[in-house]
Amino acid sequence: MARRFDDEEDDDVEEEEYEDEEEQLLDDEDYDVDEDVGRGREGSSKKRGRSDFIDDLPEEDDEEYEDDDDEVYGGGGGRGKRHKTPRDGSQFFDLEAQVDSDDEEEEDEGEDGFIVENGADIPDEDIGRRMHRRPLPLREDEQEDVEALERSIQARYARSSHAEYDEETTDVEQQALLPSVRDPKLWMVKCAIGRERETAVCLMQKYIDRGSDLQIRSVIALDHLKNYIYIEADKEAHVREAIKGQRNIFGAKIMLVPIREMTDVLSVESKGIDLSRDTWVRMKIGTYKGDLAQVVDVDDIRQRVTVKLIPRIDLQALANKLEGREVPKKKAFVPPPRLMNVDEARELHIRVEHRRDPLTGDYFDYIGAMMFKHGFLYKTVSMKSISAQNIKPTFDELEKFRSPSVKEGGEMAGLSTLFANRKKGHFMKGDAVIVVKGDLKSLKGWVEKVEEENVHIRPEMKGLPKTLAVNEKELCKYFEPGNHVKVVAGTKEGATGMVIKVEQHVLIILSDTTKEHIRVFADDVVESSEVTTGVTQIGEYELRDLVLLDNNSFGVIIRVEREAFQVLKGVPERPEVSLVKLREIKCKLEKKFDVQDKYRNTVSVKDVVRVLEGSCKGKQGPVEHIYKGILFVYDRHHLEHAGFICAKAGSCCVVGGSRSNADRNGDSFSRFGSFKTPPRLPPSPRRFSRGGPPFDSGGRHRGGRGGHDALVGTTVKIRQGPYKGYRGRVVDIKGPSVRVELESQMKLIAILYLIMLLFQHPTGNDTSRYGMGSETPMRSSRTPLHPYMTPMRDPGASFMSSAATPIHDGMRTPMRDRAWNPYAPMSPPRDNWEEGNPASWGTSPQYQPGSPSSRAYEAPTPGSGWASTPGGCYSEAGTPRDSTNAPSPYMPSTPSGQPMTPSLGPYIPGTPGGQPMTPGTGLDAMSPVIGPESEGPWFMPDILVNVHKSGDETHGVIQEILPDGSCKVALGSSGSGDAIIALPSEMEIVPPKKSDKIKIMGGSLRGLTGKLIGVDGTDGILFSIFLRAYRKAFMSDVPLVPPNKDDALKNLNIESTE
Amino acid sequence: MGSAPAQIPTSFVHELRACLRCRLVKTYDQFRESGCQNCPFFKMDEGNERVVDCTTPNFNGIISVKDPSRSWAARWLRIGKFVPGCYTLAVSEALPEDLQNMCEEVHVQYVPPKRA
Repeated sequence: MARRFDDEEDDDVEEEEYEDEEEQLLDDEDYDVDEDVGRGREGSSKKRGRSDFIDDLPEEDDEEYEDDDDEVYGGGGGRGKRHKTPRDGSQFFDLEAQVDSDDEEEEDEGEDGFIVENGADIPDEDIGRRMHRRPLPLREDEQEDVEALERSIQARYARSSHAEYDEETTDVEQQALLPSVRDPKLWMVKCAIGRERETAVCLMQKYIDRGSDLQIRSVIALDHLKNYIYIEADKEAHVREAIKGQRNIFGAKIMLVPIREMTDVLSVESKGIDLSRDTWVRMKIGTYKGDLAQVVDVDDIRQRVTVKLIPRIDLQALANKLEGREVPKKKAFVPPPRLMNVDEARELHIRVEHRRDPLTGDYFDYIGAMMFKHGFLYKTVSMKSISAQNIKPTFDELEKFRSPSVKEGGEMAGLSTLFANRKKGHFMKGDAVIVVKGDLKSLKGWVEKVEEENVHIRPEMKGLPKTLAVNEKELCKYFEPGNHVKVVAGTKEGATGMVIKVEQHVLIILSDTTKEHIRVFADDVVESSEVTTGVTQIGEYELRDLVLLDNNSFGVIIRVEREAFQVLKGVPERPEVSLVKLREIKCKLEKKFDVQDKYRNTVSVKDVVRVLEGSCKGKQGPVEHIYKGILFVYDRHHLEHAGFICAKAGSCCVVGGSRSNADRNGDSFSRFGSFKTPPRLPPSPRRFSRGGPPFDSGGRHRGGRGGHDALVGTTVKIRQGPYKGYRGRVVDIKGPSVRVELESQMKLIAILYLIMLLFQHPTGNDTSRYGMGSETPMRSSRTPLHPYMTPMRDPGASFMSSAATPIHDGMRTPMRDRAWNPYAPMSPPRDNWEEGNPASWGTSPQYQPGSPSSRAYEAPTPGSGWASTPGGCYSEAGTPRDSTNAPSPYMPSTPSGQPMTPSLGPYIPGTPGGQPMTPGTGLDAMSPVIGPESEGPWFMPDILVNVHKSGDETHGVIQEILPDGSCKVALGSSGSGDAIIALPSEMEIVPPKKSDKIKIMGGSLRGLTGKLIGVDGTDGILFSIFLRAYRKAFMSDVPLVPPNKDDALKNLNIESTE
Repeated sequence: MGSAPAQIPTSFVHELRACLRCRLVKTYDQFRESGCQNCPFFKMDEGNERVVDCTTPNFNGIISVKDPSRSWAARWLRIGKFVPGCYTLAVSEALPEDLQNMCEEVHVQYVPPKRA
C-alpha cells in the first residue's frame, strides 16, 4: 500500500487541478448526460450530495475513477492514469477516505481498473459524456496510458511476480473491500425452488440480450439457499425491472440485505469434496440414507458415482416381486444391511447372473439391474445423492466393509478420508509419525515443525537429511505397544489406556477404566500419561446408574459415549443393549428394593448372587441394582456389557450372607459394629434358613450352602489320590465331596472335600471377585487357604513334602475346620470371637494400609483367636491377615509367609466402604499382594533373581528348585557363573522392565514366557512370542528371563492358552 | 463493456463446470469449444483432458455478473477483472500442481480455494 502512495504522489499534481476542473464540468453536465444516457442519475446525484458534507478528497477519488474508466473504455487499461490520485493529501484523509483509496488501489491494480466506488453509475455517465464530447483527448490519454502502464507494470513486476491479477487475498485487503454505502446493494428475491441457478443464468442472458437496459449488477444463486436468489443493484426499481417477465421469479417481495450481512451472503466455504476412488461417503437419500458407502468409480462428466454398499435387500420381498406376486407396500420397513448371499438368493428362485460389466470389465452378479460383488451392492448414483463431507466412518462400519477381497490398498485409501477430516493442529512437535504414502512409505520419524500442509519430520533412519518435509496427508501418527495414550476424537474420546497392539493405523488399547479393549484409529490418539476414566457422566447420569427410560423400560448405563449412553436393558431373557440419548432418560432410579431369590431369601443391593438359570448361568457377583424383580449383577468375569448381567431375581440365589439384615449404609465400620452389637445379631436365624436345599451333614452345616456355593467355580488343586496335582474347577458340592472338572482332561471327578485344595487365581479377575464381594463367605473360603496354597503353588517343586511334615498339623487343622465347619458366616462362634477380639476388628482392612506397624502387633491376636474358634475365624471376611499370618508359626521354614505386610492389600478394595465398583483401583491395589505373598514358592527355573547371601547381592538365574524349597542358582545375570544353593528367603525377583524377556510366575499363564511390552501400573503386558497374542498378567508375576536363555524358552510348557 | 461476455451456460444442472482458477462457470462443451476466456493459457479448447483438469463440477453457488468491475459482489469475490459471465462463488478443489506452475510461468496469480 505504501508503495502505491509513493507512486501516486510522484504523479502529476497538475492533473489534479485538471481533474478539479473536470469535476466541475462534470457536475454541471450531469443532468444532461444522465438524461441522455438514461441511467446513472442516482449515483451522481448521490455523489454530489455527499460531497457537500464530506471533504473534497473522496470526491476527487470519485473523479479519478471516472478517469480510469475513461481509459478503460478507450481500451487502454487503467494503469497509467490511476496515478493522478491526489494522494498528497492522504495524510489528512479521514478514515473513510483511506478506505476509499484502498479500494481504489485494489481495483486499479487490475488491468481494467474501473471502479464503481460510489454508486458506480459514473462510468456510464462518462461513457456517455466522453462519447459525445471528447473522443479525441481520450485517445491521447490512452496513448500516454499505455506507456505509463508499461512502466508501472515493469516497476511492479520487479517487485512481485504475480501482481497481474493482484488477487492476493490477504485479510487486510479483503477487509478493504467491505461494502460501503456507496456500493450496490443486495436484494433478496424469491424464486422457484430448484431454479436458482437457472434464474441467475437467465438474467445473465437477458442482460446480454438487452444490453445496458438492465441495471442490475449481478445475480447470485446459492446452492445452500433454496427458494431465493440475490440481485445486486443500486435501486429496488432496477431489480424490479430486471425480474420483470422472469417466470421463475416471484417478484412480489424484494428484500434488502443489510449492508453488514452482504459479505455473509458471499462467503461460501468451498466444499472440499475430493471424490475419488475409495473415498468414504454417505448416502443422502433413499433406502440407504445415512449408510456408509465407498466410492468405486467417479464419472465427473455425468456427475455420477459408483459406490459400494452393504445391500439392504429383503430377499423374500425381492423374490415375490420378481415372481410377480403382490408385494405389500411397507414403507416403514427398511431391511437391515446384510451382505448379499447369492446362493441364498438362488434358493428363493431369484435369477442371479454372473456376467461381465461392459464398462469396467469386471464380473458381477446381476439380479435384475442390481450389481453385486463379494456380497456388496455396486450402485451408480448421482453425485448429489451422496455426501462426502465430514464423513467419519465408525469402526463398526469399517469392519463391516472389510471383506476378503479388500486388500491393504483399500485400507490405506480409506485412511485418506479420515485424514481429510483432521483438525488443524493435528500433529505437534515431538509426535512420532510414520509415512504411509509415497516414496518414503514406512519411514518413521518425529515431528519437528508443522507448516500449513507440510510437516517437517526428523527421520528415524540414518543417512537421511536432518528433516524432511512431508505432506501431512501422507503421515499417520505412530504408536508402539506399551505407549500410554489418550483418545482425543471419536466415540471413545477421553478414554486413556495402553496400546497393546498396532494394526496399521488401528490401535488396540487396553482402557484404564474398563480394562476393555478399545479399537481406535491411531489418528484419534495422542500419547499421554494421563489416566482418565474417560467420560463417565453426562448430565446427572453416570456410568452404572440405573435409569428409567422413556418407554418405561429401564436399564443400567454400561457405557457413556459422547452424546449417548449404552444401556443394558432390564430384560432378563437376553442381554439387550440400546443406545440412549440423554433426553430419552426419564430419571435415575435410586430407590433400593429388596427382592427374593429362588429360595425366597432376601436379596438386596450389594449381596452376592449367583445366576442359576438363563444365558448367564453360573455367573456371580454383587447385585448392583434391583428394580421390578430384576437384578443387575456385576461380575468381573463377564466381559460384555461392562460386567453387568441382568437376571430375574427368581433365577438367582444369594451366595453367602446377605447384608439385608446388617446395617445397610454400606460403611464397613458400622457394619462391623453391627456384628458386635448382640441385639442386632438375631437376624442370623433367618439367615440360616437361607441357602435353599438344606444340608444335612450336621448342625454346623447350617447355612453352609452359601459358603459352598462360593467355592463353585473356583479353581482347585487336588492334593491326594490318583488325581493328585491336577487342577480343576469346582462344579458342584455334595455333602463332603465336591465335583471337580479337571482342566487337563475335561472330565468331571468327584473327590472328597478333604483332598482338594483351593487354588486361588492370582489374576486380577479372580482376586477382584473376592475383593468385590465384601461378603464374608467368599472371602472366608479363600483366606484360610492361603497358607496351604503356598507349597502347592509350585507344581514342579516338591514343597509338598515339606508341607507334609511339621506344618502338616497346622495346616490340616484349619483345613478340616473349614471343611466341616463350613463358613457359617453368622455362626455364633464367630460372633463370640469377634467380641472376644475386638482388637481384630480394629484392623478392619480400611485401617490397614496406613498402619503397617500395627499389623505386626496385631498378628498374634488373630492367631490366638483362630486357635480358639477356628470355624469362625475362617469364615470371617475381616481377617484375611489372621489366617495368613497365623500359620507362620507353624511354618517356620516358609519365610515367604513372613513378608506378609502387603498381603492385606488385596482385601482393601474389597472392603464394603471401598470402591468395589472401580475395577481400576481394585486391580492396582490388589496386585502387589499376590506377588510377595506367594513369592517364595513361586520361584521357578530360568528366572533372574537377586541373591543376597552373606551380605553380597548378586544376580543369578535359578537353575533348579530343590526339594527343600531352596534353589540352585547360577550366579551372574546371564546365569553363567557358579551355581550356589540359595534359600528362597535369600532371593528376590528382579522386576522386569519394558522389553525384557519375562516368564510368568503366577496365574493361569504361569510358565508362559514373552516379552514385556509395557508396564501399566502394576500389571505388565506380556506379548507372547508363542501365542502371538498379548496377555495380561500381574507385574509381580512377571520376572525376568535372562536374555540368553532362549534355549530354555524352547522347552517351555505353556500351561494355558486361554 | 470492457470485454465480450463469456458464453452463458446452456444447462443449469448437469455438466456445469467451473474453471479452477477464475471460477468461470460454463458447460463442459463450452469449455471444450472455446476454453476459458480468463485463462486462455490453459488452452482448454485444445484438449478434452485439459478441460477436465482445469475445471471442476464441484462448486458452490453461481453468480452471474454483467459487469464485474462494477459489481461489489464481483470485487469481493475477486472476479472483478474477469470477463462478464457466470461464475461460481467457490470451487472445491485446487488446481493441479502442474497447472499451478503454468500459471506461474505466465505470471498469473493463482489463489487456491480456502478450506473451511
